[in-house]
Amino acid sequence: MAGKWQLKDHEAEQRLFNHRLMLAAVLIFLLFTALIFKVFNLQISQYEYFSARSDGNRLHSQYVPPARGLIFDRNGKLLADNQPIFNLMVVTEQVVDLDQTLQTLSTLISLTDDDIEQFHNRMRRNRVPFASVPLRYVLTEEEKSAIAVNGHLLAGIAIEPQFVRSYPLAALTAHSIGYVSEINREELDQLSDADRENYGGTNHIGKTGIERTYEDLLHGTVGYEIVEKNNRGQVMRRLDRTDPVAGKNLTLHMDSQLQIAAEAALGEFRGAVVAIDTTTGGVLAMVSKPGFNPNLFVTGISSKDYNVLVTDEVNTPLFDRTTNPYPPGSTIKPFLGLGGLHNGLVDYEFAIEDPGYFRLPGVSYRWGDYTLRTAIGGGHGHTDLLKSIYQSCDTFFYDLGNRMGIDVIHDFMSMFGFGENFALDIAYARTGVLPSREWKMSSRGEPWYPGDTINSSIGQGYMWATPLQLATAVSIIANQGRVVQPRMLKSIDGVEYAPPIENSVPDVMVNDPDYWRYMEEAMTMVVHRPYSDVFRDYGTAFEAIAMADRDMPYKMAGKSGSAQVVGISQEILSSTDIVVSDLNKDHGLFISFAPAQNPHIEPQIAVAVFVENGEHGSSIAGPIAKQVIDAYLLDILELDFVAMEQNAEPETLLSDINE
Amino acid sequence: MNNQDFIRQSTGFHSQASRFRAIWKLIHIDPPLLVGLILLCCFGLFVLNSASDSNAEVVQRQALGMLVGLVVMFIVSQFNVHFYRSWAPSAYAAGLGLLALVLAIGVEENGAKSWIDLPVLPSFQPSEIMKIVVPLLMAWYLASRPLPPRFKHLFFSAAMILLPAALITMQNDTGTAIMVAMSGVFVVLLAGIRWRIVMAGIVALLVASPAWYLFLAQEHQKNRILTFFNPYRDPTGAGYNIIQSQIAIGSGGVVGKGYGNGAQSHLDFIPESNTDFILAVLAEEFGLLGVLFLISLYLFVLVRGFYIAYSAKDMFSRLLAGGITLTFFFYVFVNMAMVSGLLPVIGLPLPLISRGGTAIVTLFIGFGLLMSIHTHGRHKPT
Repeated sequence: MAGKWQLKDHEAEQRLFNHRLMLAAVLIFLLFTALIFKVFNLQISQYEYFSARSDGNRLHSQYVPPARGLIFDRNGKLLADNQPIFNLMVVTEQVVDLDQTLQTLSTLISLTDDDIEQFHNRMRRNRVPFASVPLRYVLTEEEKSAIAVNGHLLAGIAIEPQFVRSYPLAALTAHSIGYVSEINREELDQLSDADRENYGGTNHIGKTGIERTYEDLLHGTVGYEIVEKNNRGQVMRRLDRTDPVAGKNLTLHMDSQLQIAAEAALGEFRGAVVAIDTTTGGVLAMVSKPGFNPNLFVTGISSKDYNVLVTDEVNTPLFDRTTNPYPPGSTIKPFLGLGGLHNGLVDYEFAIEDPGYFRLPGVSYRWGDYTLRTAIGGGHGHTDLLKSIYQSCDTFFYDLGNRMGIDVIHDFMSMFGFGENFALDIAYARTGVLPSREWKMSSRGEPWYPGDTINSSIGQGYMWATPLQLATAVSIIANQGRVVQPRMLKSIDGVEYAPPIENSVPDVMVNDPDYWRYMEEAMTMVVHRPYSDVFRDYGTAFEAIAMADRDMPYKMAGKSGSAQVVGISQEILSSTDIVVSDLNKDHGLFISFAPAQNPHIEPQIAVAVFVENGEHGSSIAGPIAKQVIDAYLLDILELDFVAMEQNAEPETLLSDINE
Repeated sequence: MNNQDFIRQSTGFHSQASRFRAIWKLIHIDPPLLVGLILLCCFGLFVLNSASDSNAEVVQRQALGMLVGLVVMFIVSQFNVHFYRSWAPSAYAAGLGLLALVLAIGVEENGAKSWIDLPVLPSFQPSEIMKIVVPLLMAWYLASRPLPPRFKHLFFSAAMILLPAALITMQNDTGTAIMVAMSGVFVVLLAGIRWRIVMAGIVALLVASPAWYLFLAQEHQKNRILTFFNPYRDPTGAGYNIIQSQIAIGSGGVVGKGYGNGAQSHLDFIPESNTDFILAVLAEEFGLLGVLFLISLYLFVLVRGFYIAYSAKDMFSRLLAGGITLTFFFYVFVNMAMVSGLLPVIGLPLPLISRGGTAIVTLFIGFGLLMSIHTHGRHKPT
């Protein structure tokens, strides 16, 4: 031990130690310098970058969706409302045992396998931690209270309110108002960058009808708020907020009372009613029946419900019958007649001796009188234009159409909106077909044959028109040539809306304005000319309308039509279903306006009725039109025609109405 | 006479300061070191208060831990360091026994089975104690041998260092194992180990590390290495901690976001903000100035430790003081370098700032030894 001590050189060892200690100090100094350099690099050189990243971590700009504008009818009744619904939300991070919780829930509320599967799908998508995932939409009051009562068993389950579109008239306005539904990928892609920003907080977009047409007005402007979130995505503070601007409230010309009446008037039939205010062009009613419940689409229609809608080939509830074309049949005769007068091809005296058929010179084929095909014996005999309208004599119009030629027919009838869409804000309406030589060549690749003109003269063959077009055209007769373009929107946020009209449609000018009075008389006779001793000399709709209601206080002008069914698939025709066999029946049509031939008051309403497989225009579609007109003139406008007759000064009454 | 008066006067003039010094010496406290430590503790509590969202319980427990630490330091410093020297081998043997016991009946916490939970006694980590015992043993072993140490002594030194390190590694606590090993290695380095052996060791490590990486490293260890080189290879997983930590530090700028305003920490983006990553909280709220202030405090303590080592009166005291000081530096540096992205992430707290009980007491035992070295008279060999 002592030897060891002697071996030690204490001074040398201390020098060595001090040397090492110095070295360690230098090393420490260098390492701290490196550390400071690193921290300097982070805090000074990269300060901007990390500062931005820090803000990016905590600050989140989130959209505040605007409230969608409401839609009212002309009397302020709601057609589209925003209703709170209550959704069942799950924050999975807070759920203790998900399976157990779902099990408990399914005993409290209705929870289908479909619901659970969709919930799991939503969970699988990218989502922020602690974000709530919807499990069930639209809880009922009972379900809400059942969950509230059992809240202690359901950690992580919450009920969240959400405002969604609701349509009080449901199926009644399914086509005209349309509906909103979840925005899809395509629609999002079609939006401009600015719009896509504006839709940042919006889930729904107008898909059809008014909801689509006036999407820009209804949507409003998105708001923003900047919130501070922690790393679990919980909002800690709201730092800044730009309020959204709610969409505009729209008031339509539509009268929901008339809409209801029109739908009721159609009864059990499938069909369409379009009613137009003849003074403004405002669409008062626009019903396609059967409709569907648009509310189903708002929260996402189930595939089962959707299948029911699309597979119903008989009722085709999704198909809008008001804006899709059908052969107009005899309803085009007043327009053709006016064209004949205007072009000097007929006058008030002109008449034919109707044998019941028409023959082109040099052609053996006989065009029979369509309306008489089931009747026995002969034609209408001595027939002038007046009688050809109220008796709906085909032979007269075969002859007239043949003499006018398709070019004249096309040019004249296009002034009434056939083959065109006069509507200002129903862009989705089809234009039908007003055939011409050019049209046939370009669409069929065939020249126009004289026989085509004969078919077109009674609204068959290539002639196609929508109920909306027919209502528009008949309103032009009611207005004696003044064109009022159909429109839906009446006012925006209470301010009367003047649509910007580009290339407005010119009024229809005829050589002698008396032609209008003449045609109104002829169309009034369709409804009001009674049976007499003279063979076939009554109005075709007299029995169904004027005779059925002998106390009718006003006169209405009308024209019936029926059209052969075309374009039904062989599959449907070959079906043995009894209902399906009805699909082969003719469509019934009726156009009319009222009051007609009234010295005290102008026509107020023009109506077009289309009854699918209704067989007869006069007996089926006619009374429906009359019911709609009754509802409008008597129930809504409350016109007192008896008083009007008795009163010496009709002007005061008129001013009453205008108030 | 005049001359004597002058002497008396001059001693009287100095007597104020020297009496003051004598009192501290009497109670075996080194005032500069104490001041440095208390400043660090106060700053640590201040930062922890913010990092824990003013959680009074956390702060009080930490303060209590520090008080206990100070008391332990005071007790430790009352004994002459050579008392500990004589007990070093026994302490080492007892420590190994406890480590073995941990492997048998230890309690697992945070993935490491390093706690002993005996009845009556509070639960503790034997591996913590080894952080003191290993340098103590190395100083005991090498101080009585000729320096620079001979190869034979180095061999035994290596064995004495690696044995506890291996036992701790078996507890699945690699971080502590490295710390314990390093505390011994520092003593060996200070003892004057020849450079060629140091170089050989470094080369051996460099050669061995790829082999370690390929054959021995566990998946999470490999991940840490890969994440160190590129945190963005898995920004929401393995890289999340270091990315968020760097964002916090970087966004602090020069003066920081202000006390209690660190968004990264208060919105829970910084993981382990009370413990391993507390530097990120400090850097975010006090900026570069705060970091420099903290480094200054540490430097103050380190310089005092170096001075104590330098002025110690025998080789054992020098080696022990130097080893403890360097180990303290190593803790500080590894944590700061890891949080700022200079080193891979190793689970290691920041001394006196991070929340944690046992570690504080261990540190103060070390400082108590430093004070003992500095305040007791020269060792009289018996």
